[in-house]
Amino acid sequence: MSRTRFSAARMALIAQNTLLECRRQRFFLLLSLLTAAMGIAVWVFCDCGFVAPRAKFLLDGGFGALTFFGAVLAIVTAAQSFSGEIEKRTVLAVLARPVWRMEFILGKLAGVMILLLIFYATSTGLLLGLVMWEQAGPGMSSAGFPAGGGQVSGSAVLACGLVQWLRSGVLAALTLLVSSYARSSLFAVVSGFAALVICNLQSVASDACRAAGSGWAESVVGVIGVIFPDFALYDVADGVAAGGVLPTTYLAGVTLYSIAYAGVFGGLAACCFRHREL
Amino acid sequence: MNAIELDGITKSFASGLSGVTVCALKSVTLRIPEGETVGLLGSNGSGKTTLLKIILGLLAPTVGTCRVFGVPSNCIDARRFVGYLPEAPEFYPFLTGIELVRFFARLGGLPGRGREGLIRAAIAEVGMSGAAGRRVGTYSRGMKQRIGLAQALVTNPRLVILDEPTANLDPEGAAAVCGVIRRVRARGGTVLLSSHQLNHIEDLCDRVAFLNRGRLVMWAAKNEFAPQRMDGGLLVESLPKACRPELRIWLEDRGARMEGGPIPQRSRLEQVFMAAAGCAPPDEREIP
Repeated sequence: MSRTRFSAARMALIAQNTLLECRRQRFFLLLSLLTAAMGIAVWVFCDCGFVAPRAKFLLDGGFGALTFFGAVLAIVTAAQSFSGEIEKRTVLAVLARPVWRMEFILGKLAGVMILLLIFYATSTGLLLGLVMWEQAGPGMSSAGFPAGGGQVSGSAVLACGLVQWLRSGVLAALTLLVSSYARSSLFAVVSGFAALVICNLQSVASDACRAAGSGWAESVVGVIGVIFPDFALYDVADGVAAGGVLPTTYLAGVTLYSIAYAGVFGGLAACCFRHREL
Repeated sequence: MNAIELDGITKSFASGLSGVTVCALKSVTLRIPEGETVGLLGSNGSGKTTLLKIILGLLAPTVGTCRVFGVPSNCIDARRFVGYLPEAPEFYPFLTGIELVRFFARLGGLPGRGREGLIRAAIAEVGMSGAAGRRVGTYSRGMKQRIGLAQALVTNPRLVILDEPTANLDPEGAAAVCGVIRRVRARGGTVLLSSHQLNHIEDLCDRVAFLNRGRLVMWAAKNEFAPQRMDGGLLVESLPKACRPELRIWLEDRGARMEGGPIPQRSRLEQVFMAAAGCAPPDEREIP
């Protein structure tokens, strides 16, 4: 009898099922609509004339909505699709089949990542459309679009969307790691948001400790900085709004950084889940 | 060949931060031959589901070994032989019935050629063809049970493990499930059936294992628990006392005899179960 090996096909099947689950839930639709509504609202506010510069407002508002709702989507879908299966015991019938637990968890991560890709591709596409419409419009120069007088690069907006997707992917992997030992999806969601706060604030904490000159606090923040990714690296919307472009070296670096963290979190999640009693 | 071999299985769970251990199974040793239908009985909390999860490799025993067709149950290869229906199953509510069975068929490695035919046959076998296009979220508990049975059977497994398969079913549905189990048995499959429905166990099983507080207290063959038949006997209930002498004379004239006394229990398994669980047997009734 041949041994059952790790199968990319089974992993893809689980990813496909996870994607279908997320797509058929109202939550995804609701968040997508909210993001679109936020983007359009920001665009409408631009026309009121009391915001300047327009580019910064439009891109900041758009990417702000994208980042916030993307993070919510990453945390909630990762927790629901994994902890939810354990809570509802649907996982029992799946793992009673010849399925490696690694396939299951990586399939879940892949499914959530594809869902986030759809979300970011659609939302960034909408934002890019609004930016291009503004740039082609007659009133754009009076409000200063962009701030520096140049044009906002479409490829920079797309690259910024890619960077935000990478950020939410790392967050989804981190939430999956929590879910791999969490007893409830609520715990996983709350822990995911706590991790989001840590990841967003760690550069601020690091700067504060350095300014205060506290050696031990700096060490603690340094350790936390290794455990959790620094999400300040992903804050590039300001530069794009100012007409800047994202250098290829930056994109390559942030992609490797994200893959490394997502890989480590995914691997740890697989280890935790491997020995978990269901 | 044995379908399942359990050797000295003990399973303890640590509970809470205090580290108090709860022993769910204590030194369970059991051999289930291939092709047999075996009932797993026990009170609530006796360790039945824990034992099933160990056989499925979902739990690791604290002590002891478990093999499925000679393969250690913690090895993924053991699950290639198994179809499993969990207790009170909850399946993906966003999938339709046919999508759900297809998902499990593909996970089970059913090859693409002829797969759709097998999926439809499994759904038809449990009587769910009419509702296969509906989302599982709209199913009643009984329908979920039946579609769960279809997913367990779709890969034509050598061993079928069913945890309370008739728990949520109406009599018609329960009879359909019993029919499915008989068909699995007829084609040489092994069935391990955990149930509180003693009449189904009595009817379907070749052997019965009784668990009480984690211990295997009885391993009985069918002739030890099946109801005894009274060939040529006739049970008369609610006969007025005044008529009894007349009936006795009538019977004795024809070479028959009449006996009074307690009515035999309808289910010997119930008695065996109560004895194994350490409970008093139910009161026996006298002929009026």
